[in-house]
Amino acid sequence: MTETRPTVLRARGITKRFGDREVLRGIDLDAARGDVVSILGGSGSGKSTFLRCLNLLELPDAGTIEIAGSPAPLAHDARGRARIANPRALNALRAKTAMVFQNFNLWSHMTVIDNIAAAPVHVHGMARAEAVARAHDLLDKVGMTGFAGHWPRQLSGGQQQRVAIARALATDPDLMLFDEPTSALDPERVREVLDLMRALAGEGRTMLIVTHEMAFARDVSSHVVHVRDGVIESMGPPALMFGPDASPVFRGFLSPP
Amino acid sequence: MIGDDVALPVLLGFGHDGWALALIAGAGLTMALSLTAMAIGTVLGALLTVAQMSRRGWLAALAQGYGLVLRGVPELLVVLLLYFGTPGLLAAIAALAGLPAPGSPPAFLTGSVAIGLVSAAYQAEVFRGGLLAVPRGQVEAAIAAGMGPFTRFRRVIAPQVLHHVLPPLGNIWQFNLKDSALVAITGLAELMRVSLVAAGSTRRPFAFFAAAMVLYLVLTSASSAVFRFAEARAGRWAGGR
Amino acid sequence: MMGESGTGESGFLADTALAIVAAVPVTLALFVACAVGASLLAGVLVAAQQGRVGGLVARAWIFVFRGTPLLLQIFMVYYGLAALGPVRHGPLWPAFRDPLFCAFLAMTCCCSAYIAEVLRAALAAIPPGQIEAARACGMARWTLGRRIVVPQMVRLALPAYGNELVMMLKSTSLASSVTVLDVTGVAQQVIAHSYRTVEVFCLAAAVYLGLTAALTWLLRRIERRLDPAGGR
Repeated sequence: MTETRPTVLRARGITKRFGDREVLRGIDLDAARGDVVSILGGSGSGKSTFLRCLNLLELPDAGTIEIAGSPAPLAHDARGRARIANPRALNALRAKTAMVFQNFNLWSHMTVIDNIAAAPVHVHGMARAEAVARAHDLLDKVGMTGFAGHWPRQLSGGQQQRVAIARALATDPDLMLFDEPTSALDPERVREVLDLMRALAGEGRTMLIVTHEMAFARDVSSHVVHVRDGVIESMGPPALMFGPDASPVFRGFLSPP
Repeated sequence: MIGDDVALPVLLGFGHDGWALALIAGAGLTMALSLTAMAIGTVLGALLTVAQMSRRGWLAALAQGYGLVLRGVPELLVVLLLYFGTPGLLAAIAALAGLPAPGSPPAFLTGSVAIGLVSAAYQAEVFRGGLLAVPRGQVEAAIAAGMGPFTRFRRVIAPQVLHHVLPPLGNIWQFNLKDSALVAITGLAELMRVSLVAAGSTRRPFAFFAAAMVLYLVLTSASSAVFRFAEARAGRWAGGR
Repeated sequence: MMGESGTGESGFLADTALAIVAAVPVTLALFVACAVGASLLAGVLVAAQQGRVGGLVARAWIFVFRGTPLLLQIFMVYYGLAALGPVRHGPLWPAFRDPLFCAFLAMTCCCSAYIAEVLRAALAAIPPGQIEAARACGMARWTLGRRIVVPQMVRLALPAYGNELVMMLKSTSLASSVTVLDVTGVAQQVIAHSYRTVEVFCLAAAVYLGLTAALTWLLRRIERRLDPAGGR
């Protein structure tokens, strides 16, 4: 979206069908280093599916994806069904991204510190001592100092999500994907997670965020994307999207009649 | 070793006329037989689980059918069928290959395979339940972190499955241990067989069956202690239960 | 006896099948008697567990009968007890001389231990709030047991209880080891005459498979009938 910074994400013509239902009908999206893109839309608009297509948790039926110079190894068989062409390239692509889930999805049999150190050790081959030392730094960063030996079940939702963000940061990803990171939290816990995400945006992380937090999208994003019926209905900088010249459809979404 | 005139403590002791060593050796063989059966059941059970969850319909149906049959037929019949059936089956296979009949396989082998075949049917159910109990989201988190299928299984799925399957596996182990007594009919000198022989040759059945019961109780309670320890270790993350 | 009456392959199999099916009532009678006896005894064990001395006895009972093989227990009753003077010369000797009775006795004791564990787990699974609620509205002890505890226990225990029944049905085959002519016993008898091991055991296995399938089907129906959220 800016010419001077390197492109981190280039997605073209992403299409996804579940049975007869066309969930995504051709989405193009680019992001440059440091972009914070908020993806908004009603439930069932396809915004989460789009995010899950980017690291191939869902296989798009058509389209191309490139993340930090690595193309997604997608191929299609004779009947047009998508499949992975090269598992090694797939893992390499996923290693450049990190995902934060709505339900945290911390590995419940690992302590907090092991959750954070797992991918560096088992995916990137980092020495365990180094990974643990870095994991402690990340715990400090997300405000969870002293929780290294806790099990996930001992933490509140907000604490679990902050650990999940530390886990996502552990591999120093080129692109962070947030799938409704605050939707499963008690209202009073939402802020601690949003504040942390705001801090990450401030240090130049490239982030794609599916969210319902309008104030956060307006204040923190560099770009706001409105997805409706599987296509991008409108997009632009927040000043435009939340200003008087926004698309009437998006304004209708923001304040339903 | 003669009967009525010898005192009971002597018969149950370690001396020349005593059966203690034979009974303990029998208990050892019972343990070895059950362990082998359990191992066979684990390997075959895991294969059956994979087959059950396969997208190929016929393979899943085959695994399901195996479970239905082996869980619906008395263990005694499985032992009898294998003990009497394998020599003929091996001879038929050898004849097809143009070889002479190989004779009967060792009783230990047929016994442990028979108990293992039954064990596998139960273990497959347990493994399937354990796999289904791993939260889908945690597997997705492993995928998203770039873990390949092997790392995913080793680091995320297996430890959680282990926690879920250990208690029911402990139950199956207890059944294996007790089912191993059925192998006595093949003449293998495991604990049940030794107690039968001792009871017959000393004409003191009550004493020897009681002794065998005590030894079985030692085996079952010792192994359930081992399982409880393993469960506690494998389930620290899940909290007390 | 089988050899003469049959005419060739199909004749032998048909005769054997008839002989085995004719033994089904023995297997079923043993099963039903044990099911009733073991369930009643299990109820007594659970009740005993509520007291201190009774609890100790019940725990020892369960420990011994769950911790040793049923085959050994059957031998203990049939051969072991018979060797004891008081049994041999006591008034119950005619019963203890009968292999069918001994198999029934051992199986009933053994299965009662397993069923008692099932019932205990079901009792523990009844939400305590429901019992408190019944007490709060002034329900008497007996009414509480009959209206709240037992119906809940039956529903909670049924799946595991059903599993025990299937296990019990299969276990009846062990009675053949003390010369009871149940399905397995008859099969072994036919083999002793014909040496056609595999075919005969497969026929017997098919009969057991049919019996366990029928029992499982019946249990499913009852479960569905009792499930308050279930169909219909």
